[in-house]
Amino acid sequence: MTLARVLFVTGKGGTGKSTIAAALATALARRRPTILADLDGRGAAAALFGARLSGPDPVAISQTLSLIALSREGELEAFIERIVPVRAISRRMLKSRTFAYVTAALPGLEAFLLLERLSIMGSDAALEDRYLVVDAPASGSALELLSVPSGLSGVAPTGLLNRLAHSVGTFLSDSSRFATILTLTPEELAIREALETATAIRDRLGIATAAAIMNRTPSALFDDTDLASLKPLPAHAAMAARRVASYGRSALGAARLREAGVPTIALPMLFTPAVGRDQLAELGRTLEAELLD
Amino acid sequence: MKPEDELIEKHRLLVCLGAGGVGKTTVSASLAVKAALLGHVTDVMTVDPAPRLLDALGLDADAHQPRRVNLPAARARKGHAHPGRLRALKLDPKHTFDAIVARHAPSEAAREAILRNSIYRNLSGALAGVGDYMAMERLLELSADSRTHTIVLDTPPAAEAIDFLDAPRRLLELLNSRAIVLLSAPGGIFRSQLKLVDIAARAVLAAFDRVTGLHLLGDVQQFVQSFEGMYSGFAERAERARNLIRAADTAVVVVTTAEAGPIAQAIEFVTALNNAGLTLSLVIVNRVMAAVPDEAELDSVKLPAGLKRKLRRNLADYRALKYREQSSLTALRDAIPDNARIVVAPDLGREPQTIADLAEIGASLSLVG
Repeated sequence: MTLARVLFVTGKGGTGKSTIAAALATALARRRPTILADLDGRGAAAALFGARLSGPDPVAISQTLSLIALSREGELEAFIERIVPVRAISRRMLKSRTFAYVTAALPGLEAFLLLERLSIMGSDAALEDRYLVVDAPASGSALELLSVPSGLSGVAPTGLLNRLAHSVGTFLSDSSRFATILTLTPEELAIREALETATAIRDRLGIATAAAIMNRTPSALFDDTDLASLKPLPAHAAMAARRVASYGRSALGAARLREAGVPTIALPMLFTPAVGRDQLAELGRTLEAELLD
Repeated sequence: MKPEDELIEKHRLLVCLGAGGVGKTTVSASLAVKAALLGHVTDVMTVDPAPRLLDALGLDADAHQPRRVNLPAARARKGHAHPGRLRALKLDPKHTFDAIVARHAPSEAAREAILRNSIYRNLSGALAGVGDYMAMERLLELSADSRTHTIVLDTPPAAEAIDFLDAPRRLLELLNSRAIVLLSAPGGIFRSQLKLVDIAARAVLAAFDRVTGLHLLGDVQQFVQSFEGMYSGFAERAERARNLIRAADTAVVVVTTAEAGPIAQAIEFVTALNNAGLTLSLVIVNRVMAAVPDEAELDSVKLPAGLKRKLRRNLADYRALKYREQSSLTALRDAIPDNARIVVAPDLGREPQTIADLAEIGASLSLVG
């Protein structure tokens, strides 16, 4: 499988988006220089590496892996500085609340600028033979973000913005340059949201999904005979049954996603007292084997 | 009285804040069911509930008005004049905003001008702050009914805790923004009142309009002007909302799960609330694992050796997760003010989808610190 240069990781809240983005970046960085971009603004992925992102400058995690934070505010700032070259004025404008409201009322300007930045970084990544992994917002917001270019084309039928929107739209729908990765857990709600998101991304937006990643899948460990003989130990039986049920939901969910045309990879539940670099490396190895070989 | 019940008895309004994916709606609904089963006349307002929860509450996609929810059979408790009652409604920001405009607009023409304005349409449809403000508006309406003992409010997922509580002030600021009106004034005397920043903002917007053909400048001006006669009504409502949130019988509840990410975020929320001078009453940690069973039990039972090995491995696995959870809870306790309580809600091992599930969660809430 040839992977897109820009991998946009999204999913239901609480499914381990940042962990998977970080693990994926770890895996890719073993092959090529990789940038992990945090769009969520919380620095959750950075925290997993024990690093801290402050400001727009990238932080190096290893020889080949670096982290960067991208924010809507930051992109707006860069845009305003492009239009108002007098720095003192552009700075004061950005601090003005009135101005903040006006720009917030603009249909998706900040979101659009953020996507434009990703498309520029995506082109650079192709030129420089890099990967860009994006720790994106949760699926609802991510869908809104990805539909901004088509929305803008409607609002602004001509002019510069229209041309920019068109070029960003082309970038997003080019599966060699851009693809989404959907995260989920073996829970009914998360499975359903992943299915809905995958369908919307493909049918409504025309964007590729490289894979769905079923996070936190335990091994079954027990079979039916085991469960049946646990009757005298109700607490142990309940815990065993939960584990088996979770394993079953993972398998069934993966089957439903594959049926919907989404390749699905199961990642193991990490039964460890903490999640740090070692665990990311372990998850990364599974992802590497499934996505790249 | 159980301390968990006391938290409900002490507060008329419970405002649940939290990030996406932590089960905020489930927790809100469980608190409401619990209050109703304690004998309270209760309203719960939810935002974007999962379809099954919507079913459980007997709501459909456009239930903007409170609907009665059928509760599991429960008797009125002593000392309560009324048996408990639960009503639920779903917040629709756009619908609420339209209704407010209709109520406050000085004329039919002003109302139409606002509803057609493109800034209004963008604001009322998509902007997170407006959803927050509209939740506040509905809350004022619900709270005006003195027969209601308990109101539980589920808020839109927030990146920052303060977003929601700050919403009325932010919307007021926009409406009161003389600078926006002056921005597009043709020149002359008005222009002299503009600050340098506003002139620069005007330049950017004008350039943007030229490039995009969006008529943004005109739309913003029209939007703010058309609200002119309505400002005092909004200001009064915002002040009342502010007082309601800060009232002694209002509990601000932060909902989280025990995972490291959400806990870190909950700590940020609590800190922000504290800095804003709001008293946090409660952090509810949702989906906390059941206690891991005792390994010693395995010694006395007759089971195949292979199965016993599997059971020991299962115990070791879940003990590790339990340890992780416990570390998060300890980090939370250390980071939040001493007077804030921590309550845990159990993981049912299945998705809550009936009133009975919600009642079970409500009954199992337990104070841990």
